[in-house]
Amino acid sequence: MIAVIGRGRLPLSVLGLVAAAFLLSSCEGLGGISPIFPTPVSPNGQGIYNTYIGISIPAIIIFIGVEAALLWVVLRYRRSKQPVGYVPPQIHDHRTLEISWTIAPLIVVLAIAGYSFVELQKDFLPITNQQMTVVVSGHQFGWDYRYENGIVIHQEGTLAGDVTPFVVPTHTLVKLQFQGTDVIHSWWVPAISGKTDAVPGYDNYSWLKIDEPGKWRGECAELCGAGHGTMQIIVQAMDQHDYDIWVRVQQSGQHAAAPSGTSLG
Amino acid sequence: MAATTVLPRPKAYDDTFFKPISIWLTTTDHKLIGIMYMVTGILSFILAGIFALIIRLQLSQPNLTVVDAETYNQLISAHGVTMIFFFVTIFLTGIANYMVPIMIGARDMAFPRVNLLGFWLIPVSIILYYSGFFTGGALNAGWTGYAPLTEKAYQSHSLGVDFWALSIIVWAISGIMASTNFLTTIIALRAPGMKLTRMPLFVWAQISTSILLLVVGAPLAAAMILLEFDRQLGTQFFTTQGRPVLYQHLFWFFGHPEVYIMILPGFGMISEIVPVFARKPIFGYMSMVAALFGIVFLSMTVWAHHMFTVGMNTYVEGFFMLMTMLIAVPTGIKFFNWIATTWWGSVEFTVPMKFAWGFLATFLIGGITGVYLASVPVDTQLHQSYYVVAHLHYVLFGGSVFTIFAGIYYWFPKITGRMLNKTLGEWNFWTLFVGFNGTFLIMHTLGLEGMPRRIATYANPAWGTTNMIITFSSFLIAFSVLLFLINVIRSWNGGEIAGDDPWLANTLEWATTSPPPPYNFERVPPVRSFMPLRDLREARGEPAEPVPALSS
Repeated sequence: MIAVIGRGRLPLSVLGLVAAAFLLSSCEGLGGISPIFPTPVSPNGQGIYNTYIGISIPAIIIFIGVEAALLWVVLRYRRSKQPVGYVPPQIHDHRTLEISWTIAPLIVVLAIAGYSFVELQKDFLPITNQQMTVVVSGHQFGWDYRYENGIVIHQEGTLAGDVTPFVVPTHTLVKLQFQGTDVIHSWWVPAISGKTDAVPGYDNYSWLKIDEPGKWRGECAELCGAGHGTMQIIVQAMDQHDYDIWVRVQQSGQHAAAPSGTSLG
Repeated sequence: MAATTVLPRPKAYDDTFFKPISIWLTTTDHKLIGIMYMVTGILSFILAGIFALIIRLQLSQPNLTVVDAETYNQLISAHGVTMIFFFVTIFLTGIANYMVPIMIGARDMAFPRVNLLGFWLIPVSIILYYSGFFTGGALNAGWTGYAPLTEKAYQSHSLGVDFWALSIIVWAISGIMASTNFLTTIIALRAPGMKLTRMPLFVWAQISTSILLLVVGAPLAAAMILLEFDRQLGTQFFTTQGRPVLYQHLFWFFGHPEVYIMILPGFGMISEIVPVFARKPIFGYMSMVAALFGIVFLSMTVWAHHMFTVGMNTYVEGFFMLMTMLIAVPTGIKFFNWIATTWWGSVEFTVPMKFAWGFLATFLIGGITGVYLASVPVDTQLHQSYYVVAHLHYVLFGGSVFTIFAGIYYWFPKITGRMLNKTLGEWNFWTLFVGFNGTFLIMHTLGLEGMPRRIATYANPAWGTTNMIITFSSFLIAFSVLLFLINVIRSWNGGEIAGDDPWLANTLEWATTSPPPPYNFERVPPVRSFMPLRDLREARGEPAEPVPALSS
């Protein structure tokens, strides 16, 4: 039976794999199979998202082209498909061909690098036009958020992820200043933007600007000890009215009701 | 093997593998040392594979406690260290130790006793690493061992990190010895007529690998020594008060070239296997060599692409991004040349050729995801997520492991004198191919949805089914490896006799007996091109590229 798979029926097994992959991807309600990041809610996340799409266009073309060539060799040039006694032409090289498949990929990667560099300059420099700054510091195992108005949020980690949310107002450009206090941590909320490491000894910067109220989940992305998996993050965006109430509640020393982590957007 | 004359094996070499232990302990024969390297590598592969299965059981569903978080961190570290340092690199050193002297028509390595010492440092290194488990816990900071997590302040309970650092220092010394030996052997001991431009591409790959390990072995040892200074002498190189990121620079200056140390010999093997089974000479020999050295050069200028989230100047990041992406060009040249070698060919998909083609089909995915990861903005999303785990396994498993299997199926007849069983080999390939892709393809998407790597468990119920599919597939890989081990043991004892040259190949190792005598060649054949055995067939008046009937 395996000889059948080995010879002759190869296209079938390939088709089977493709069909299985297709079935898998069309399963409803199955998490962890999205081919792209969550829908970004912050402009820098959107920039990364667009770069990802931009790279995907040449990547998918090259992937399909090369896999098709590999498959064509299997289908067309296997010994059983060649006439009996066929002796292949003994070709050693072909100057033009070799130069062209050196130059063509070079152009493609230069284009990708240039495109990525533009996005890098656009969204990854420390900003100076922020409307507020929050100092985010990581420790084993949780995050502290210090606002300019004196509020401090302690987001102590839990595996279940029912952590105290880090609250930001909507329509506000928030500068994030990352500090490390013990080992290296990495702050990552996929729906907002990429990661930024919190390294002891110097500050790192990122930013966010969220236009719709909601909650987004993330977690620490740099192995930081046994509690690494518990360093969960929730970012909650509130419109200005709710945010002002939240600030007053925080400043009056009352404890905000522990929000449930079950209704995350 | 219909077209091969089956010769009785000479009695003297018949018991190559059943020698007294004293001979194994003291031999300076590069072939026996090569076999010991390879066996050490395979044993490490099995051990690290078992770790991987425990990791997969732990992750198969949310909130599991098959092992606790601390044990989990030790397991992922041991899995990475064992696979990278003690399996792939060691196995490839072994196969090169066996093949390179024969392929260039030499009698042994240039420094046989250095070879002996270099090999025996490896068990020392392995024992040192695993000693950590008996000191309250082995390394628990991942195979990269980032400071300051590895510093004494966060590791007070165990000496695992110290044993790891010592183990890696010994390993680096062994690697430097082996590299020096390979380079000297290849430069000084080639047979008459074996010009540099007539060497098999596997030997060229070994030159480039050895150069890389010579350059980056010392910085790795330096990083470990500084870390030990911190831990034992109270210095502040990488501590919270020092410069933790300096450790990352030193480590990745070794760590990224190490990726190429683990794949370039595989590229070399594919360059040997593909022409033989396509019955055509390798396409673009000189550009293959140039591409190897292009990769060697570029691989030493890309290390900081592992560090795009630590906060570097964006122009520095841009430089590392550009250099990383440029590696796609020489790698692409090799891909196109391999495909061109088979174009218009008469390709027989024997088991080694299937593994070669499986390698091309999967390594391509690892190469393409590598371009995504090189792009700084996209990398800040993908970094340290399951996307990276998927990518690195496409490169190391789809790349290194598939080429290693291709190499084993190709050279096993030469080393043992017996063929590996073809039916078991086909099963081995297909289960591995399906199991591998089933395990690692959907890991990409888990990473895109936000699952970080190295977390001991997760609470998100939506990831459960996907992780279960991955775990199931990983056991298919284990089944495949089991088939492979059965095949090796069965064939070693009672496989079909191979004869000198079962594949009608082109390079010198097939001119001697299988297995070769201790002195390798009674008479080295004349070398007039990079395919000396093809020339011999022509001189005998046989077809230069005989197209045998399909085997079996």
